[in-house]
Amino acid sequence: MSAPDGTLCTKTHEYVIPEGNNVYRIGITDHAVHQLGDIVFVELPDLDSTFEKGEVFGTVESVKAASELYMPAGGKVIELNETLLKEPELINNDTFGAGWFIKVALNDVADLAEALEYDEYIEDIEE
Amino acid sequence: MDTNTNRTPLYNEHINLGARMVAFAGWEMPIQYTGILDEHKCVRENIGLFDVSHMGEVFVYGKDSVNFLQHVVPQNIAKLTTGKAVYCQLTKEDGGIIDDLIIYRLEDKSDLPSFLLIINASRVKEDMEWLEQNNAALALDVVIDNQSANLSLIALQGPKSSELIELIGIKSDEQPEYFSIKQTILESTDVLLSRTGYTGEDGFEILVKNEEAATLWNLLMEKGKELGIKPIGLGARDTLRLEAALHLYGQDMDETTTPVEASLGWSIPKDKKEDYNGKAKILSQFDNKPSKMLVGFKMIDRAIPRHNYEIYINGENAGTVTSGGVSPTLEANIGLGYIDTKYPTKSGAIIEIMIRNKLYKAEISKRPFVPKSHQKAIKK
Repeated sequence: MSAPDGTLCTKTHEYVIPEGNNVYRIGITDHAVHQLGDIVFVELPDLDSTFEKGEVFGTVESVKAASELYMPAGGKVIELNETLLKEPELINNDTFGAGWFIKVALNDVADLAEALEYDEYIEDIEE
Repeated sequence: MDTNTNRTPLYNEHINLGARMVAFAGWEMPIQYTGILDEHKCVRENIGLFDVSHMGEVFVYGKDSVNFLQHVVPQNIAKLTTGKAVYCQLTKEDGGIIDDLIIYRLEDKSDLPSFLLIINASRVKEDMEWLEQNNAALALDVVIDNQSANLSLIALQGPKSSELIELIGIKSDEQPEYFSIKQTILESTDVLLSRTGYTGEDGFEILVKNEEAATLWNLLMEKGKELGIKPIGLGARDTLRLEAALHLYGQDMDETTTPVEASLGWSIPKDKKEDYNGKAKILSQFDNKPSKMLVGFKMIDRAIPRHNYEIYINGENAGTVTSGGVSPTLEANIGLGYIDTKYPTKSGAIIEIMIRNKLYKAEISKRPFVPKSHQKAIKK
């Protein structure tokens, strides 16, 4: 499973993929997925809700534990992947593709300044 | 990993099978191999192999072994015939539970009654201290022999378990019945073969000397291939037992809960004449409802209940979840928890679980959540 070009990752293991026109696709990284194991449940925010950078926007649960999801950047939720509610295994099986959680319109792309490019992120977590 | 954790004799087998290891009760154990959901399904549909060597095995034998055991558990050990097993609790004077365990009556040793106790990994030290304390106080003629360090335990569970044991040479009508044990040989390995388990499926728990554990494990994996056998980790062991509504000591009960409160009243005889630790308190709870009871519940709202989440009824804090999670078989979320008995504890009663500051509805449910299929092992 490889991250598409342009994928940025946070220290809390969310990924952000720019889609153009200030739309960004957000999910959790393959590293996070591997740590979690089988994912069985996802809680998504409401459409049109707004969050600050670092705010909890949802939950992802594996068999063993619940984990909160943190906004990599402040913005408004403009699309939800509701398929995840019935098929959370998409997160395990197609992490960067069909396993996306939300799409957001960012308030300020500078919020992503600290996010790492995927290769840097992998190096960072291996330390 | 902490260098103080123990490894079972099957450690290398787990690593070779790609297990993800975790520390549990001072042991390095496999939590999963192919994935918890995949392993869970394999046990329900085919057959799974578990390393449960971390558990404890204590032999109790001698002239007064029956009297001794009668004193430390509520269950009636005098009624246990050779080759049979019973699910018990070691209780304190106040009725609190020190551990839950299975006691097996083995063949007599030098013409005297002989028993095997299989106890929880997390309680071996406490159980041994408790047994020795009681032995000292009672001054009976009994030997308490902790063989945990020398023995390994492998569990084989699933609808095809009996078929696999038959493939290895023990015909179906020579296999022990449900909740029975026999000494036998599996392809030249001496074992104690017990028809018990922690999954709700038909299956066996096989006790073997440490030096022979790997041979036995590999034999079962090899012969079980055509039946679809997989190695199963502690992750699926937990989801399986929760579906079967089998308790986990330390979560669903502990020293502050009596067997009646833990909804184990079914295992307590009302007509045992001998005295035992906690007898007065435990029997009194059949007449005077205890203040808290363990119930099982199924979520109505979409959410997963987990250990230590609070239970609310009519807007008031009414108890706590002790075990909770997903039921892959039911595709529902289930749990166990204590509630104040001033509220209804019958099936169908509505409760709420507080999860991340919101309340989610659940309904008290009959147990087991998934019907047990081990009944097939009972001979008519």
